[in-house]
Amino acid sequence: MKPQGGWVGKILRVDLTSGKISEQSTYDYVPKFMGGRGLGAKICWDEVPPEVGAFDPENRLILATGPLQGTLAPTSGRFMVLGKAPQTGPVESFCRSGVGGHFAPELKWAGYDAVIIQGKAPKPVYLWITDHKAEILDAARLWGLDTYQTQQMIWKLHGPKTRVMVIGRAGETKSRIACILTDTGDASGQGGFGGVMGSKNLKAIAVRGTGTVNVARPKDLMEITHHIQKLFSRKSLRSDPYQPEEKNFKYNIWGGEYGRGSLSLLPGELLDLCNNPSSGYSQTPDGCFACPVSCRSRVKGPDITPGVAFCAQSYMYLESMVHQPEKGYSKVTWQAAKLCDLYGINAYDLMAIIPWLSDCFREKLIKEEEVGLPMKEIGSWDFIHKLLHKMANREGIGDLLAEGGQRAAAKLGGKAEKLSRMYYPRAGKFAGYREHWVYLGGFPTGYAVPQLALMWVLDNRDALVSHSYISALWGAAFTVGQNALTAVPEKIIPVLKPVMKAAYGSAEAAEFVRPDGKNLNWKWAAPVVKRYHEHSLLKDCYVLCDILFPFLFNANTPDHVGDLTLESRIFSAVTGMEMKVEDSYKIGEMINTLERALAARDGRTRKDDNLYDIYFEKEDAGGRKYKREDLERAKSDYYRLMGWDVKTGTPTGPTLEKLGLKEVAEGLEKRGLIK
Amino acid sequence: MPQEVNRRTFLKGITLGAFGLGSVVAVGNLLEILTFPNGQKVALAKMVILADKSICSGCRVCEIVCANFNSGGRNSPSLSRIIMEKEIMGGDYQPKVCHQCADPPCLKVCPVTALQVDKQRGTYARIIDERACIGCQKCVEACKQYFRPSRPRYDAQKRRSVKCHLCFGDPQCVKYCPLGVLRVEKSDKGLMVGYPIIQED
Repeated sequence: MKPQGGWVGKILRVDLTSGKISEQSTYDYVPKFMGGRGLGAKICWDEVPPEVGAFDPENRLILATGPLQGTLAPTSGRFMVLGKAPQTGPVESFCRSGVGGHFAPELKWAGYDAVIIQGKAPKPVYLWITDHKAEILDAARLWGLDTYQTQQMIWKLHGPKTRVMVIGRAGETKSRIACILTDTGDASGQGGFGGVMGSKNLKAIAVRGTGTVNVARPKDLMEITHHIQKLFSRKSLRSDPYQPEEKNFKYNIWGGEYGRGSLSLLPGELLDLCNNPSSGYSQTPDGCFACPVSCRSRVKGPDITPGVAFCAQSYMYLESMVHQPEKGYSKVTWQAAKLCDLYGINAYDLMAIIPWLSDCFREKLIKEEEVGLPMKEIGSWDFIHKLLHKMANREGIGDLLAEGGQRAAAKLGGKAEKLSRMYYPRAGKFAGYREHWVYLGGFPTGYAVPQLALMWVLDNRDALVSHSYISALWGAAFTVGQNALTAVPEKIIPVLKPVMKAAYGSAEAAEFVRPDGKNLNWKWAAPVVKRYHEHSLLKDCYVLCDILFPFLFNANTPDHVGDLTLESRIFSAVTGMEMKVEDSYKIGEMINTLERALAARDGRTRKDDNLYDIYFEKEDAGGRKYKREDLERAKSDYYRLMGWDVKTGTPTGPTLEKLGLKEVAEGLEKRGLIK
Repeated sequence: MPQEVNRRTFLKGITLGAFGLGSVVAVGNLLEILTFPNGQKVALAKMVILADKSICSGCRVCEIVCANFNSGGRNSPSLSRIIMEKEIMGGDYQPKVCHQCADPPCLKVCPVTALQVDKQRGTYARIIDERACIGCQKCVEACKQYFRPSRPRYDAQKRRSVKCHLCFGDPQCVKYCPLGVLRVEKSDKGLMVGYPIIQED
């Protein structure tokens, strides 16, 4: 029986080599694999064997929406880009990257749940999808244009309501850290899928849909939407759109300290200009599709590139704030981030590359004349625009850096490589990703949390540790009047107890530090991380927002307990298929195991789930250390909980069969990875 | 009952004396009636949605909640009665609402009196009676003369025109707008809004 709502039922397959466009039924994969990350993982399992490289024509670029996209469901503007990722290194492996904005609903309204792109076009092309049909069109005149210009050209051709996923110069030159951008800042960055698009000679994917997505129980959906809106936000004050009209209400992002419009968090020249009505600069909240909060800022001004500001763009060029401390977050900081967007480079990786280059220069490992960059002027406009130009066009040192920070460091070797480990924690063959806001191991500042270390070693990209679990920790920190970096574990643990009980089944899970205050408590690492993986897998399969879901910490109630039933309630209302929370966790577990099987097929073993030595050497602000044997024990616990082989970290045959992944078990068996 | 009242305007139940051209007269608690030079008489809307685009975040919740609520769960902005017009690079987001015009062009052209004034709910919104609509799209064309995009829209699946009816007095777009861009203006006397006061937008 087909579900009454949610999915629109068709997957578009485009073979760029032959120019053949075909359709297949989504119901080959769903509801078992849900959508988004689950759908993409299954397609990759079926179609992308380990022999295929990320830049090979046979690699698939999968744009997968979930059941909720295109409906009223809150934060349903997101979708996932999946495939074999060039950024994962040194071995390229399956990875995913989420994108917000307004592309996903447009794709659903055009009649497709997902797009699979394979092959390589003989000359530059772009894909035009509209209401149940797709065309491959010539992009000779778009090739070489920046991401904004390309979109403007496409809007001229296909109308301004068209949403476009586009690559810039970096994608065209097959940079391993190129992103795919849509509108003025939403991008699929991690994984380097921009390079995959470039390798396929595909400049852009343009979508315009006028169709509908059916919702099985529209009234229920409206009720749950209203409930979620009330949990996360309030209407704005007319005098200040960043303040809620209800006094003392906290927007429920990261435990309540953040809210509408990210630029207001960044004091400096630009914010001052925006707050001055006569300056001609302005910032207004900007939302992804159907978002109840609108956490980003839309910034414009007479001499700056307009666009949307959020974390990646906001914090990319922090060096400029050191360079000109009196200006704070200045126009240079903003323009650097926007230039990055125009070239289509993943800003997250630059947040590691720039400080790493600076470290290398300080240690005299690179010379100014060698690299051709004004290294003494790090933080200036001169430095960043030269660096980005070189990286996008692969000139000189840029050619090396376009391979991504960790690969570049490995190529330089020696001390330069050692310095890079500060920014790239995961050791082994499946690394390549920068830390995601939360510092591991308590440095340069902050606290060691065992759960975070375990998340980092197990993920197949950067563990999204800044969301989900950590939001509860941060929320507790804000509650006791401290911030994310200064909170003392002993103070936040009492606040965390009821929250952790609701989320992970036991109040004890809150105690990540032992009562003596000297040692970390690893006991709850494995069960918490298992549940964390289930939460994030599910969120990426329904495809909801990383920041809002799972809702662990409520900043506006005295006990701060969140609500973990929200996602499954939205899903039930949209599809008409009753989903219990416990059942949904089983789906999360199944897809987590499938992703692990994919990695195992690419050669990942227990050895690759590891951190570099420095993470075990340094002490955190409380004098505690990660210990290698603790991490190894937690890994064993985790594998055992998931039903994976403890020695290799590969899912076992019986586990796969129990989860309904018989074909995966057979595939692994064929390759001799399980007996 | 003045002869020049066009039956199409469907003002049954309102019996007032003849008024001077262009005059506005209130009689007791009856609705204000506006008489235009062409003799058209339509009761003024008592309720209208206003939008403050300066703080709009462009999240499109208004569009999708409208379609979800009014089109039986068919979530699509092409069915929504409020329309989000975006200029992405310029950063200009405009929710386009139906003005519930004082002299509604859509209402005047309807050949089958499907377009009516909603007196039953007390909003006096200009609504389309689905049972009567024949899907000729004349209202869509008429609105387009003054307002782009046209506020009444054509539902191709049901072959009928649809337009904003203020959700029976509780506009869902206003209720669900997360930022408070949209608000409702009410007046028992009726509101002089839309065409001919606003000629175009």
